[in-house]
Amino acid sequence: MKYRLIRTISGRGQEPGQFTEMLRGIAVDTDGRVFAVGDTAVRVFQADGSLLRTWSTSSPGYCIAVARNGHVYVGLAGQIEIYEGNGTLIGAWRDEQHLGLVTAIGFADTSVLAADANARCIRRLDPSGKLLNTIGDDNRRSGFLIPNGVIDFAVDRKGVIHTANPGCHRVERFAIDGTRLGHFGRFDGQDPSGFPGCCNPTNVAVDDRGRIFVTEKAGPRAKVYDSDGTLLSVVADSQFELACKNMDLAVDSQGQVYVVDTVKLQILVFAPQAEPVAAGNTAAPSEGDESR
Amino acid sequence: MSEGLTRREAMGHAARGLAAIGLGVTAFHLIRKADGQIVWQLDHGRCVNSRLGAVGVNTCNLCTSECVVAQSAVRAVNDFSKCGRCYICPAYYNVTSAVDESGLPSEKLCPRDAITRTMIGDADPEDPANNFYEYVIDETKCDGCGKCVMGCKEPAGLGSIRLAVRHDLCVDCNRCAIAMACPDDAFTQASVEEAFERLETKGGT
Ligand code: SF4
Ligand code: SF4
Ligand code: SF4
Repeated sequence: MKYRLIRTISGRGQEPGQFTEMLRGIAVDTDGRVFAVGDTAVRVFQADGSLLRTWSTSSPGYCIAVARNGHVYVGLAGQIEIYEGNGTLIGAWRDEQHLGLVTAIGFADTSVLAADANARCIRRLDPSGKLLNTIGDDNRRSGFLIPNGVIDFAVDRKGVIHTANPGCHRVERFAIDGTRLGHFGRFDGQDPSGFPGCCNPTNVAVDDRGRIFVTEKAGPRAKVYDSDGTLLSVVADSQFELACKNMDLAVDSQGQVYVVDTVKLQILVFAPQAEPVAAGNTAAPSEGDESR
Repeated sequence: MSEGLTRREAMGHAARGLAAIGLGVTAFHLIRKADGQIVWQLDHGRCVNSRLGAVGVNTCNLCTSECVVAQSAVRAVNDFSKCGRCYICPAYYNVTSAVDESGLPSEKLCPRDAITRTMIGDADPEDPANNFYEYVIDETKCDGCGKCVMGCKEPAGLGSIRLAVRHDLCVDCNRCAIAMACPDDAFTQASVEEAFERLETKGGT
């Protein structure tokens, strides 16, 4: 499968829909609205990229997630802030010890999951923000290896957590109670199915079909794997600024992939393209043909 | 400066702190210079090999080729306080080389084999990828070619390796040959005291 760039959203600048210094996290809700956090602001865009609304966060935001009920969760240093979809602040969970630097948020069952990059693990919280258990710290290095400074994860429809462990060059899977369910990935600086450089992948997203999307740094690249870790496609590479790192990404219900260019402070939207039918292969499929 | 401490004693105290982050050799040789002496220093914020944002450009090796000292008075230094102790260090390995049978890059980056890689801490023998590694530069082998510096620069690494003038090797030319050739004006002059302060506050000379 191939992807093509269909749209860019936001960018570096002083306009209301732009960011001046940082664009760190994005999320896409079920209606295709794009939520972006950076600087000390949340900006919400319509699916066509036009700015819908914007509001301030109390300090620089590191990640953003939209819950099924439409509440918007923003991860910051030492806390999570919770907003109505219109930007009204409805809560803040402050916990310097367990939410040292929140770089990813997800939802599974009734739990809220938050990556704490300071402690190199994921916290599972109940709906009131109370700590239930910690995920990913039960190895000899007491957590994920993140020389890149962030932990990113995504939760699939079955509630499985897919986490980037960049220092180990793999994506690791966990149940919400912390049980390790396996991993895929290996270092390879030549074969695109592997993860190159010192520490990749850096960011992860999962779509409704369980496909796993990742981004890498140095050189910046977005890729998609099937649920067992087989590379399906390189979504994009040459479109990003070379100095990009920790490029957050999201996938919408139509399979469109949203990737942050952390240098241009822009969201690039890629759509899957139908494969062209190969010449000489235009006959109607016969009965029993696998493609049917 | 603490009361009762001479300038040299204070600098010596600070140098011991810098040693812990791999910059002690530079600091100790600065102390041995005369008060007020002018020295050449390398601004790693300007040098193309370490300057942030200069990505996808060629490594500059003029510090090696231009210095009047054989093997150059410029050497690479690893600031351990910034090093990520990665399993696969892009300054140690040529990360674009083919993978060998152990799953690691088959080639090293340093042309003089001046960097050693040692597993540290409580090792995980079943999962070598899940360990920290220390990378130490043997300055007697290094000629300041800058390859590891470029390899370690963000976003590939954490930018913990940079080039520095070794003040025991530098002969303090009136007109530094590197300064004359440097395309980035990264070589500047400073008093010993200024150079030391810069080392303490910015981690480099
Ligand atoms: S000549 Fe200048 S740019 Fe080149 S390596 Fe030396 S300091 Fe860096
Ligand atoms: S500067 Fe060149 S010679 Fe020195 S350690 Fe780095 S790669 Fe090796
Ligand atoms: S002053 Fe002379 S010895 Fe020192 S770095 Fe420059 S050329 Fe080399």
